[in-house]
Amino acid sequence: MTRQRGAVYLAGLAMMMLATGACTTTSGSSTSSTSSGSASMMDPAGGDWTTYHGSYRSWHYSPLTEINSDNVKKLKVAWVHHPGRSTRGLQSMPLVADGVLYYTGSYSRVWALDAATGKPLWSYFPKLNEDLVAAQTHSPYTRGIALGMGKVYVGTVDGRLIALDMKTGQPAWDTKLVNSEKLTVGFTGAPLFVKDKVIIGSQGGEWPGRGPIFGVDAASGRKVWEFLTVAGTDEAMKTWGGESWKTGGGGGWMAGAYDPETNAVWWGTGNPAPLYDWAGAEWKTTGPRPGDNLYTTSIIGLDADTGKLKFYHQELPHDAWDFDSAVGEFVMLDRDGKKLVVHPNKGGHVFVYDRKDASVVNVWQLAKNINFVKGVDPKTGALIGRRDLALGKHTNLCPAIAGGMSWNSGAYSPKTGLYYKIGQEWCMDLEVIKTTPVLEPQAQLDLGANFTLRDPEGGKAHGHLSGRDPVTGAKKWEVMFPEPPLASLLATAGNLVFVPDSRGMLRAFNAETGQEVWAHNNGIGHNGGIISYAAKGKQYIAVATGWGSLVGDEFGALFGEPYKSMPKDSGAIVVFTLE
Amino acid sequence: MRDPLTVAVVLIVAITIFDAPTPSPAQTPAPSDAKPAPAQGKTASIDAKAGEQLFATTCGFCHQGGGRVAGRGPKLAGTERPDAYLLERIRTGKQGAMPAYGGAFSEAQMRALIAYIRSLKDEPQ
Repeated sequence: MTRQRGAVYLAGLAMMMLATGACTTTSGSSTSSTSSGSASMMDPAGGDWTTYHGSYRSWHYSPLTEINSDNVKKLKVAWVHHPGRSTRGLQSMPLVADGVLYYTGSYSRVWALDAATGKPLWSYFPKLNEDLVAAQTHSPYTRGIALGMGKVYVGTVDGRLIALDMKTGQPAWDTKLVNSEKLTVGFTGAPLFVKDKVIIGSQGGEWPGRGPIFGVDAASGRKVWEFLTVAGTDEAMKTWGGESWKTGGGGGWMAGAYDPETNAVWWGTGNPAPLYDWAGAEWKTTGPRPGDNLYTTSIIGLDADTGKLKFYHQELPHDAWDFDSAVGEFVMLDRDGKKLVVHPNKGGHVFVYDRKDASVVNVWQLAKNINFVKGVDPKTGALIGRRDLALGKHTNLCPAIAGGMSWNSGAYSPKTGLYYKIGQEWCMDLEVIKTTPVLEPQAQLDLGANFTLRDPEGGKAHGHLSGRDPVTGAKKWEVMFPEPPLASLLATAGNLVFVPDSRGMLRAFNAETGQEVWAHNNGIGHNGGIISYAAKGKQYIAVATGWGSLVGDEFGALFGEPYKSMPKDSGAIVVFTLE
Repeated sequence: MRDPLTVAVVLIVAITIFDAPTPSPAQTPAPSDAKPAPAQGKTASIDAKAGEQLFATTCGFCHQGGGRVAGRGPKLAGTERPDAYLLERIRTGKQGAMPAYGGAFSEAQMRALIAYIRSLKDEPQ
């Protein structure tokens, strides 16, 4: 396959190969079937990892088998790379194409390294508006990049999308998309390469803006389309009372996925602002943002070419709890003749949709401590027994603001048929307070409450990893963690699931049984990505280390050590292979 | 429903509290801009009320329980840091931990936040 061929064809072929199992490689085979620098967003058939979620199917799965549950105990560090200036840790997902590992650190620093040795090939440090960065809350981490058409694409926290030449690191174009100087927010999530465009979503949520998602021409950097997640259509405008749409939040701050069969870009959107809504049960007609608040806390399908809305489902109408849908993974799989997509929501439920139109197929519960609703109708997705929060004090709201699941991704193995995902168990007390959004001279967070995290009633806050049927949620096995792991997971055809945990241990589990089979101490917590790839005939595992995300910042007060003393300005790429 | 009249009243009150140099007809005396020391008496309570609202808008994300307990950010109730220190920290932030609000909040707003912090009871966690 060559870079000249169309991405859709390549992606479609990759999916067919996966469906037939043709992608599963023999151990250690180093191929370049994904073709370096091509626009393909293929599954890692040749041992590459060319897009944030590993493939358009969001499986976070490697078909490589050289490292497996029988020999994983021989896994050793092959090389380490420190990007420097790792404020809030290294939160990004590395990518690999044709023997080169690309990744970004805080402040959108981009590195290209020899994937077998870690030898630096080039680096690019964008000049940022440092005064703006200093004024940002959700900053300066950058969670990933995209590859395609011979370029590396990276968003910046000051609202730009930059393209770099894959071979040299020289900038090809630099496009300002968001007025971050006014709105304060920019880009921290990875872009998604689709056909001839780069898709990227702005931060939003509790930030009072309209949360745009952009489609940018990959060749020129020209903005082709923009979709506003807050009141982006006439239908949506009617779901915001008064002028609340002007400060509605939303956004799409994690990379989504792409379905070539419908030409739909699937994206999860952020919560509305203010976070908490003093209207209580009267939210349809009163309060700071009356109505359903479309398209916040929703999954949306956008036409990849035009950015037009094709379909959507709002997972939490009028989200009053900050349980947004911005989690980027859209696990695509086929079952019983149905083409499905599985999407976790921060509130702790997992939604299963039909890929043709986002109609709800099933909803199942992953987190155990949930009381913001009594349930979700598995046939329609409708919320049952909402706990809307009126002005004043409330106790034991579950899950806590950090969610029943966080933004990092789970993994799916087509070999075991299991979906591996972290659940988080914690609650909080809060007092809802009327607020007025601060918009001038620079927008500020709009919360509407003070809150304090706490243990669930009758137990300690904790996390868990489980292996489940992705469609029904049926649990095959579960492993408990004293604190929730906050990094992404990796499944491999070697019958392994890798979990980079919060204390700093990288752990491997038998994918069939959940038995722990290997662990290594990386010396600092994990809050980023993990991939597997092949280079020069060997299989590697690469993980981002470093601590200090906004969720991780809760751990010191909630769990004590080692988090109270854990550095928040360090991080590295640590790469493993068999000795 | 946020009707325009309500918005207008809220904006007027907010502008009066935060930016007016002298007491206004809206019966919301502004904090004195003349002295850097913490406000006292009635002015202090008004400052604290304005600070409470601003705190719940922006600061409570990290300083939990309204600043009464440690969370993402440190506990603020009972802090022995002088006003000048707090003012400087709000203004310039701390890299990787706290944003700089000097470009976003007025001096009056920052002093209202400090008045609110001073009004918090220091209770054991």
